[in-house]
Amino acid sequence: MPRESRAGEHDRQRELTNLLDLRMPGDSSAVAAVSDAIAETLSRLHIPEEKRLEIGLAVQEALANAVVHGCKNDPSKEVCCRLDRDAEGRIMIVVTDPGRGFRSDALSDPNDPENLHADHGRGVYLIRQLMDEVHFEKGGNQIRMWKY
Amino acid sequence: MDINVRKRAQVQVVQLRGQLRMGPAVDSLRQTIEEALDNGDARFVFNLAEVPMIDSSGIGLLVKSLASAKQRGGSLKLVQPSRFAVQTLRLVGLLKLFEVYDDDDKAVESFG
Repeated sequence: MPRESRAGEHDRQRELTNLLDLRMPGDSSAVAAVSDAIAETLSRLHIPEEKRLEIGLAVQEALANAVVHGCKNDPSKEVCCRLDRDAEGRIMIVVTDPGRGFRSDALSDPNDPENLHADHGRGVYLIRQLMDEVHFEKGGNQIRMWKY
Repeated sequence: MDINVRKRAQVQVVQLRGQLRMGPAVDSLRQTIEEALDNGDARFVFNLAEVPMIDSSGIGLLVKSLASAKQRGGSLKLVQPSRFAVQTLRLVGLLKLFEVYDDDDKAVESFG
């Protein structure tokens, strides 16, 4: 289970190297290209496959949420995605959207039997399971996640 | 994503290749399933051997399609999901909803 520490506290202590800084329209068809760019970069860094898949899925979910909830599927709006690495090789990804944000503590539990058969509502839960640190910032329209 | 559909013994065997994720992949598969259901088909086998990752949109589609098939007296069964796909389904508590088989033949035979 990831730690959700105060946003920025750990980051200030870490020297980061930026590897990717991408922008995409708020359109679901644009998610795959950014997701693939992240995957390709992680592959070049020789990140083990299982870790790459976990990061890749978390990024996919964050981008999907940014498009659907942050941009309301409006392609005239923009999602930003940044990939950094610290000196110890830990990966940080930040996804930002222009939306109103949301309360990350007010989400339904997909494992609740009432929600089991729902066709949506699992994205944030998956991110929290897959990444080691997850911070929701700026009222919820920015997610910062770490994988060690 | 590549989608190949063939019918065997009244069962739609759907071979998928690529990532089952938000965007054209999920949209195409959704359309394929809806067309089959509209044609009266309600028995599906999804071969996931070449699907390395399924995101929550893909999972949502699988869950919804399973429910739709069952409402029509059929089902949706999985063949050879990848280790990561199994992990993902298990994480969200959904692996138990699906019957999983080692190959298409066994999955098709299970419909009786």
